[in-house]
Amino acid sequence: MTAAGIASVPSILVCVKFVPDPAQLQAEPLTGRPDLKRSPFRISTFDENAIEAALQLAAEHGGRAVAMSLCAQLPPKDVVLKALAMGVAAVYLVKDEERLARDPLRVATVLAATARTIAARESLAQWDLVICGEASADEYNQQVGPRLAAALNLPAITYATGLTLLNGVLRAERAIEDRSETLEVNVPALVTVGTEINTARMPTVLQIMGAGRKPMVELTLAELTGLDIDQLKAFPAVEVLDVFSPPSARKQVTIKGESADEIAAELLRRLGTDGEVTL
Amino acid sequence: MATHQNGGSGGVLLFSENPETVGELLTLGRELASRLHRPLIVAAVGRNAQALLDEGLARGADEVLAVRDSQGDGIVPDESIATALCEAIRASAPAVVLVGATRTGAELAARTAQMLQIPCASSCVALEMDDAGNLSVDRRVYGGRFVSRQLLNIAPRMVTVPPKRFPRAEKVSELHGSIQELQVELPAPRIKTMSVNPRSHSQVDISKAEVIISAGRGVKKMEDLQLLEKLAKLLGGVLAGSRPLTGDVDWLPVDRRIGLSGQTVKPNLYIACGISGQIEHIVGMKGARTVVAINNDAKAPIHGEADYSVIGDLYEVVPALIQACEKAMGKVG
Repeated sequence: MTAAGIASVPSILVCVKFVPDPAQLQAEPLTGRPDLKRSPFRISTFDENAIEAALQLAAEHGGRAVAMSLCAQLPPKDVVLKALAMGVAAVYLVKDEERLARDPLRVATVLAATARTIAARESLAQWDLVICGEASADEYNQQVGPRLAAALNLPAITYATGLTLLNGVLRAERAIEDRSETLEVNVPALVTVGTEINTARMPTVLQIMGAGRKPMVELTLAELTGLDIDQLKAFPAVEVLDVFSPPSARKQVTIKGESADEIAAELLRRLGTDGEVTL
Repeated sequence: MATHQNGGSGGVLLFSENPETVGELLTLGRELASRLHRPLIVAAVGRNAQALLDEGLARGADEVLAVRDSQGDGIVPDESIATALCEAIRASAPAVVLVGATRTGAELAARTAQMLQIPCASSCVALEMDDAGNLSVDRRVYGGRFVSRQLLNIAPRMVTVPPKRFPRAEKVSELHGSIQELQVELPAPRIKTMSVNPRSHSQVDISKAEVIISAGRGVKKMEDLQLLEKLAKLLGGVLAGSRPLTGDVDWLPVDRRIGLSGQTVKPNLYIACGISGQIEHIVGMKGARTVVAINNDAKAPIHGEADYSVIGDLYEVVPALIQACEKAMGKVG
């Protein structure tokens, strides 16, 4: 692929995870386990930034941004519609009802096969750019992006805070603990992004209504090109022993009062009694 | 490389690009290596290789695996560290691999694990090893409100551990570790570094503060931080912030960030002002003795992490608190 060809119309793939909204997730009263059945779903926070970054690049260069998602069960339609309404051209949903892909090693392996499968369906030789959120809002492993890059043999720029694409060269600002970096790489490449890079757009009601006309394509693991399901099953896996709400060691006292002054005085009194404040 | 009999050390191999984090991993690594009766090995790779090697030997590693690029100046470029780590893991065949969960470390661990086709448990806050050498780890999930306990039962068991989770290992009085050199062939780098800028530093080390006033997204303007700074001064503390204030906007230097991508703090008193309490943040402040949360959203997860919750507007509560402190100190009224 020539650099000039890429510059004209970049093909962009975004990885999206639909997750139970951590802010609204409750513990089951008896078990202390997360009550996943009753929690509303959302697009994982950083993945909204990934979609936004993809849309901005696509708008600038006239390219197309397509989303892929791996899910044990299909997410509620409205959250998928939100991704379409934001502006992605199509959403491919890979159903993994047996939950074979239950840890990042397997997820990245399946997503790599998905990326190849969708590229073929979209008549692309390859994706110029794959964009992932830096971590998922539910599991927060921070693994799938770099793992997917390894699985697709792509160079990865993680924690990007700014992206520009020019003549097939991706320039990225990257922020880590003690420094920021400006990096350049020829596409194809993979980047991961967080909230620093942009503010994700909120689609309007009309956009959400119109999004129903866009393709929402369901795939099974068996339909993915080059995925060896037996090998997937044989991969060593992290075994989840339990997920529980840790008993809080905190007092969890709500300080109440008629006015801010009353509340402040009461808070200070409590802190004084605990020995935290000596004035 | 034929340093280990029977094809592998069965020990603990650790890596961080940051020497101080290597010192911390040595504390955890020593505990695990002692249980296994196997060597504790530091992989010294990348630009900081010499500092990592020095840190490893000085703080009690049994072996330092100095990984060098077989070409050029021998220094493994950033982009190829994962490839170099794969070789280090193959050469030493460890039972456990520990990586510091900095941003760079998180990326390297994930990439390395995928290349080796092994799992990895990220940002583990507690680890326990049974007699068979299997590792049970605790991670925070769902915005920090739940703990996922996971088992790694096939070697190499790879985990990442947040910086500052463990104290830095003491210096040993007599160096006993050996140095093994490992030459690796690396693919040509694809990413070019155009420029590097150190991020601004403050004069304050928040990880040592007794009292921390922490600001979050609920703070509307940069100027409003002066209010929190005033409260911090009155209580003998320092001002810090969550990721939005130290990343999305640069209202506070990044070294004042508390959380997964920032510092881990253990103050006596922690007052979270306008912080919702995402996992990213909670991981960094869990060690505080007493936590106060001021947030007008009663559903904000931070309230579940607090000893004292004020469900109210920080713009009303903080000035009232300042006044109450001043009053108590006899300065006003």
